Amino acid sequence: MASAADVRSILSLPAASSPAAGPSHQPKKQSTVSTRKPEGISRELYSLIGSSAPALAAQLAKPRLKQKPNLGGGGKVKWEWRSFKNGARSDSLELGHWVKATDKPNADYQFAKYNVQPTVYEWSQDEYSRHLEDSEWTKEETDYLFKIAHEYDLRWYIIHDRYEYPNGPTREIEDLKDRYYSVCRKLVRNRTWAGDEASKSQLLLSFQYDKEKEILRRKYVASLANRTPEQIQEEEALYIEIKRLEQNERQFKRDRENLLRTIAGVDSGLPDIVEDDATLIVADPKKKKLKGMDLDIPQTPVLTAPVMKRPPTLNKNAVYDATHCIIRNDPPPTTPATKVAHTPAYLRSFKIPYPKAAIAHKVNALLTEIGVSHSRLVMPTQANCQHLESVIDAATNLVELKKVLDKVNQDVEVLKNRLEFREDGGDGGSVADAIETDDRGETAEPEGESRRSQSVMSARSTRSRKHSRRSMSVSSVDTAVPTSTRTGIKRQKRM
Amino acid sequence: MANERVRVRGLSIFRPIIYGNTATLLTREERENVPAEHTHKWTVAVRSAAPAPGSDIVGGADNLGYFLKRVSFKLHDTYPNPTRNIDKPPFEVSETGWGEFEVTIKLHFIPESGEKALTIYHHLKLHPWSLSGEPDSIPPLEVAQKAGPVHSWQYDEIVFNDPYQNFLNVLTNNPPTPLPRASTNGRTIPFHIANPASLEASKGGVPEFTTLIVKDESERLEKAKKTIIAEQEKTRAALIAKEKELEQLQKMLNG
Repeated sequence: MASAADVRSILSLPAASSPAAGPSHQPKKQSTVSTRKPEGISRELYSLIGSSAPALAAQLAKPRLKQKPNLGGGGKVKWEWRSFKNGARSDSLELGHWVKATDKPNADYQFAKYNVQPTVYEWSQDEYSRHLEDSEWTKEETDYLFKIAHEYDLRWYIIHDRYEYPNGPTREIEDLKDRYYSVCRKLVRNRTWAGDEASKSQLLLSFQYDKEKEILRRKYVASLANRTPEQIQEEEALYIEIKRLEQNERQFKRDRENLLRTIAGVDSGLPDIVEDDATLIVADPKKKKLKGMDLDIPQTPVLTAPVMKRPPTLNKNAVYDATHCIIRNDPPPTTPATKVAHTPAYLRSFKIPYPKAAIAHKVNALLTEIGVSHSRLVMPTQANCQHLESVIDAATNLVELKKVLDKVNQDVEVLKNRLEFREDGGDGGSVADAIETDDRGETAEPEGESRRSQSVMSARSTRSRKHSRRSMSVSSVDTAVPTSTRTGIKRQKRM
Repeated sequence: MANERVRVRGLSIFRPIIYGNTATLLTREERENVPAEHTHKWTVAVRSAAPAPGSDIVGGADNLGYFLKRVSFKLHDTYPNPTRNIDKPPFEVSETGWGEFEVTIKLHFIPESGEKALTIYHHLKLHPWSLSGEPDSIPPLEVAQKAGPVHSWQYDEIVFNDPYQNFLNVLTNNPPTPLPRASTNGRTIPFHIANPASLEASKGGVPEFTTLIVKDESERLEKAKKTIIAEQEKTRAALIAKEKELEQLQKMLNG
């Protein structure tokens, strides 16, 4: 007998409920029982993995496309129109531009720092006659060249275009550059240089200019630019051929070596075929075309001489040298065929240079003023001796400069007096006055421009010597020199 | 064999030395044993420049006998046997006396060097240093006694040019002790005529030569050079201005 419960379970009936409601309830319940699948993954996957998968998190992340850079302009920037001064200008022109409101109001114009000017070189008459004389250039033309070069900021094409020296020969741009750079080089070399040798040689290097090479180079470049299309094609074809030949050569050489090795066992020492492949192949074709002239030469195989064995070099370790107090100079270029006189052993302080006799006294006085002894060093090491030498050099130059300056001052005075004479009519009365004031001038130290007393100097040569000494000290006071350095010398002369 | 008499060209090697003297006043007891006029005892010496550690003398770290065969000191003629030849280190002469004079020092090198003797001169200093502003001021005994021993030393370097190979080997087998970087305790800098500013710093204590002194001097020289060059620039500018003026005047005169 089937009990009611059995029947109900067979029919899937809920307890004591109508059979119609039964089947319809079930599916509804079942549908509410199943949880909703999470977004981002498929339904099937979820039912496989379950809810614990950590991979879900990665899946759920939104796909990140390329982000726009955040320019920091999140907030709004206020711009305002401000007028500004340019530090590089000589007039006080004020212009205006848009500037962020947050910028400092009186900051320097940011482009002013690019106004770089080349160093201007000026020279004295004495320097010119000593170092800068040139047969093709007069002093006036050289001055004119430098003036124009400075005005046009060393832009050579413009300079060449505007260069118009009256009655001068036509100057090519290379001539101008050559003259300018050689003058600069000579000045740098002959003036005393503050700072070390390295910076001096660097500056010298910046003034290198070889006129012949430059002319040749510009001709090449011009011809390069003026090639016809046929020429270009021809060159390219040639180049390809060369590459092919090179490859064949290398192949040939390899085969030959292999053959020789198998036959003779070792390299048989036949002369090598030189390949300049490093220079030809590596450089790209464009560059090779520029060196059009050179392509022909490396083709022919050349007998290479065996590499010369370097003479065994001494241990050139710098530390070794320092610990043993060794100094290496370049060996003299003349071979010992001529018997090189041997410099005997000496004490380093014996070799301190002494200034030339004529001005030695002044140079030494100058050195003592500065506080440098002219003959003795506390520690005469190699370096210090060189320093002292350059200091003595500089002092000598300074003394000579002052001499020239004094001479020029004298000349100026003389000319001024002659002018005055001309204006006065050159009567005898003024000369007598001059003599009187001169006597007064002698006893009362003439500090200022007592030109009368000095005009007597030119007229009466017997007293000129004494006067010239006086005028030296006077003119020294006149020149823009701090009196402290000169009073010492003045005192010496008085004594 | 051929190695011996071959000169190594393009190379010079030097050795730093110091030469000079130290002088002290004789105490009353000491004066009893010497001739009456003598007031000081002094030692004149040639030593290596680096200071010997823990010793009281100036310099003397290395034994110079490896390249100095003999050093002869020629003293004043009033001394008996004025030529003192010292054939082995330490190369020094100690004596008593009362006056300052010039000592002629001759350095004879070892035969391997093939060099002739080198002559150097040293003015024997007995009285304490003073700047040249006050000449001939020999301070009275008490002041001098308080000041302590008087040192007068000169650093120098003997330079050998193109040495013979075997001499070079001798020298390289005896590298010199390098100068100390800065003064060790208890030592002062030596006073020198060329650097009057060092007078104060040199009082009291045993002097010592250091690389600091070398650097200091080279800085002083650099500064001097810069001053001179600045002066040069000014003078040159003045000169150029004056020349322009001259030209103008000439034009006015002729025109």
